[in-house]
Amino acid sequence: MPFTTPLALLGLLFIPAVIAMYLLKLRRDEAVVPSTLLWTRLVADVEANAPWQKLKRSLLLLLQLLLVVILALLAARPFVERPAGLARDIVLVLDTSASMAATDVVPDRLTAAKVAATEALKDLPTGGKVSVIAAGRSARIVVNESTDLSRVRQAIDDVAVSQGSGDLGDALELASKLAARSGDAQVLVATDAALATDPTGRVAARVKVLPVGRDRKNQAIVALAVKTSPSAVSRSVFVSVANVDLERTTRRLELWGDGSLLEVRDVPLEAQARANVIVDDIDRNVRTLEVRLVGSDPAVVTAPDQLAVDDRAWAVIPPDRTRLILVVGEGDPYLETALSYLPNVELFGVAPNEYGPKTQRQDGRPWDLVIFEGFLPATLPRSPILAIAPPRTSDLGQVAGRLTNPGIGSLDPDEPVLRFVDLSTTHIAEASRLTTPDWARTIIPGPRGAPLLYAGTRDGLPSAVLAFEPRRSDLPLQVAFPILLANLTGELLGSTTAPSEAVEPGTPVELAIPTGAIGVTVTGPDGSITELVPGTSGGSAVSFAATDLIGVYTVTPLVDPDASPAPSASAGTGSSPSPRANPSAAGSPGASAGAGASPPPEDPLAPVQFAVDLFDVDESTIAPGSAAAIEALGVTAAASPDPGTGAATTERPTTRDELWVPIVLLVLTFLCVEWALYHRDGLTRLKRSLTTRLRRDAGGAA
Amino acid sequence: MTERTGPEPGASSPTAIAAGTRPVFLPSEVDPTVFDEAFLRQLERLLLLMRSPVRGGLKGGRRSVKRGQSVEFADYRDYTPGDDLRQLDWNVYARLEKLFVKLFVEEEDITVTLLLDASASMATGHPDKLTFAKRAAAALGYIGLASEDRVAVSALSGRVARRRAALRGSGRVFRLLADLSSIQPAEGPTDLVAAARHAAAQLHGRGAVVLLSDLLDPGADRVIRELAATGSELIVLHVLSPDELDPALEGDLRLVDTETGERVEITADLATIDAYKARLAGWKEGFADVAAKRRASYVDLASDVNLAELMFAELRRRRVLG
Repeated sequence: MPFTTPLALLGLLFIPAVIAMYLLKLRRDEAVVPSTLLWTRLVADVEANAPWQKLKRSLLLLLQLLLVVILALLAARPFVERPAGLARDIVLVLDTSASMAATDVVPDRLTAAKVAATEALKDLPTGGKVSVIAAGRSARIVVNESTDLSRVRQAIDDVAVSQGSGDLGDALELASKLAARSGDAQVLVATDAALATDPTGRVAARVKVLPVGRDRKNQAIVALAVKTSPSAVSRSVFVSVANVDLERTTRRLELWGDGSLLEVRDVPLEAQARANVIVDDIDRNVRTLEVRLVGSDPAVVTAPDQLAVDDRAWAVIPPDRTRLILVVGEGDPYLETALSYLPNVELFGVAPNEYGPKTQRQDGRPWDLVIFEGFLPATLPRSPILAIAPPRTSDLGQVAGRLTNPGIGSLDPDEPVLRFVDLSTTHIAEASRLTTPDWARTIIPGPRGAPLLYAGTRDGLPSAVLAFEPRRSDLPLQVAFPILLANLTGELLGSTTAPSEAVEPGTPVELAIPTGAIGVTVTGPDGSITELVPGTSGGSAVSFAATDLIGVYTVTPLVDPDASPAPSASAGTGSSPSPRANPSAAGSPGASAGAGASPPPEDPLAPVQFAVDLFDVDESTIAPGSAAAIEALGVTAAASPDPGTGAATTERPTTRDELWVPIVLLVLTFLCVEWALYHRDGLTRLKRSLTTRLRRDAGGAA
Repeated sequence: MTERTGPEPGASSPTAIAAGTRPVFLPSEVDPTVFDEAFLRQLERLLLLMRSPVRGGLKGGRRSVKRGQSVEFADYRDYTPGDDLRQLDWNVYARLEKLFVKLFVEEEDITVTLLLDASASMATGHPDKLTFAKRAAAALGYIGLASEDRVAVSALSGRVARRRAALRGSGRVFRLLADLSSIQPAEGPTDLVAAARHAAAQLHGRGAVVLLSDLLDPGADRVIRELAATGSELIVLHVLSPDELDPALEGDLRLVDTETGERVEITADLATIDAYKARLAGWKEGFADVAAKRRASYVDLASDVNLAELMFAELRRRRVLG
């Protein structure tokens, strides 16, 4: 039998020591007795006064000698060799996406995957190397080419499931690169294979999937948006719930506002379908909304589905603030009157010849909307724009002449800007002939494809073009005019009905540093606090990447105690522009502040919040996928030497199975037997006393 | 003979004297742990039984081999001139016209000798055997005094027997108790055979000899044989402590003899203890056999036995007391 540490067999030298213990005479305690008369003939071990005595047969001695032998064997770590089932270099990919938190296997899929991976690594050849990749939103190498299996097991144990989507393709690509460094590599993928689309690309090694998961019972919140009506008068919440199970079910939707329960709805869900819930008349003072998907029966304490992370979602409602609208034109009383009725609007006006750099606000706050009435500047401002009767072609669209008495085409009844707007009796005297650009949608069609009103997002900025001046029509005299204007400005000012953009878990967030602050602290949903300070002095933004947990994050500016008080938003002329903490998803510049992130507050040093939500129906679809599709990405067995079969190898790698478990069991057994032998007198006495007591009790009872 | 009836076995035992309190009736030289008055009153109802009539000295309460003046009829004999005419049976004369003299059993006293082993080993045990033996001897002595017998106490210590003067009459009970209280355990080894032989030489006539000893002597059986050979009724009360009957020893020990200082090394495991108990049982059976062959009574006792239970139950069951 081979040994890992044969030097430990030197422990057998303890055998003579044990025997010597038995050869040495016992050191006895003295006890005074009335007479030794009756004891003398009983004594068998009385010997002469020599320090050594004759070695007697003793079961205890035999057991202790065997124990020494077994302990020496245990220390020497005997093992048996067998053909290894894995390649010498293993790249283990652990899927840590949110679906791996599903509890269809006990306790959850990730734990089952860890167990499967640990079991699989027992087939690692002797001296084999293991790399571990955690496949979350991005691939992360946890262990790189380690031969220390205990360290690998510890690293596997430390891997935690993420609450975001996973990118198994990215992890497989990384695994392929790691595997390419070795000639005999294999990729193990411990995953539920619950992928929206099978990963593509090739892996330069054999791929073996360790599948976990067996069920698909899950319902998820896949969208949450807070709608402000185009008139900005009321708010409503839009929730989309998806049932990815194959059976219909009913879940209960709870809507919480700032910690108080606002609404409860039972939502019947067909199999493989979505249900939308709209809750109107949300209190305007509510700042944070939370939606919980719970079981339809509150008495049932078991989890209503197998994935909990997608049963909650949050939204941060932007606070009402005064919108600044600049009207550049000669002055249209109808237009200005209608605009003045809009809530939370501060109206400014300037003549076309006065428009220029001087019209920039001195406090640095940009105009929320600039309306050009019959005029367009040479350079369009970086603000939402409503152009009325543009005189010439510009980035807002092409002007190809004039239209006289243009008729209004067929209107889209679902167009939000035209909600409650009746244009059936509207007549227009004259309008510009426009062409709808690519970035816009036609809202009011005109004759022969020439739009009378179109809107869209141009370079990230909401923009709209009205082809005619209101006063050149009878529209201002109708009820439809203020409603149309409210709807249109509402879309341009950001209070759209479009679903808000929630930050995905794990997505870095750009946080602006307000003036007067030296950094920000971010308080996560779990209460953890992260302090962020720009790398360079005077930096205006920091990046926050620890958005792994879903929930509401609070960003609090760190005020420099030595700095002078920051200027307020209503600072007078001459004050420098002050940047604000403006969280927005990186990679989507210009994203307006919606339900996912609150816009800059009036006080630049006030805390702001943003929400992180999963909202990924693919990740919520926890049905285990096809392992074969993932294994097919790797090199086939025919093209790669299989350590298990040894078809293409001359020297089959072997693995060692250490025999410490049976040896430890043997040691424990011997210890128990030795203990029982050593205390056999006490046990016999106990048995006798119990027997006597039982007999006495039985006699007493009789 | 006067038959006395004692309480039935299991009857309520006399109240024990609380430690540290001395009954008012006890003289100062008497060990206060011996008796209380109520127990003495109960003891008066007991009698030391003799297996055969004895030859005594003064008139007493026991059947004698002599014919005398008791009320118990024994036989007739022909009248001889000079006989006491009061002893003639006139009823027989009227029927047979012959003179016969009625013979009655003579009642004489005996000497009850209490041989108390005062060796050092008797001072061991919990409770110690010597105290128990003293109390048992006091009880038996009082029974003897109450039965108008003579009672003598002799302590076996070293190689001799120290005999106290014989006492007679229940009024001498305090003297008896004082004699017993004065007995102290020997400090050196005791040769029980030599001491018993010495005691046997001090006996006068046939009577009753009560030996109270742990018999922890290699020649203990010879002690029984020699005392039985004196012609006296021999009663052996073999007293052992609970520690000797069931030793609470455990582990590897060196046992030291309290008298001789001899050392014996043992491994006191359960097998050894069981072997000891078996040997102890055989040892006591040997004494019982020797005693039976010599028409002696052998009673083995534990020193924690209740004295009242011993007197009123155990010794009556063994036909030592009646």
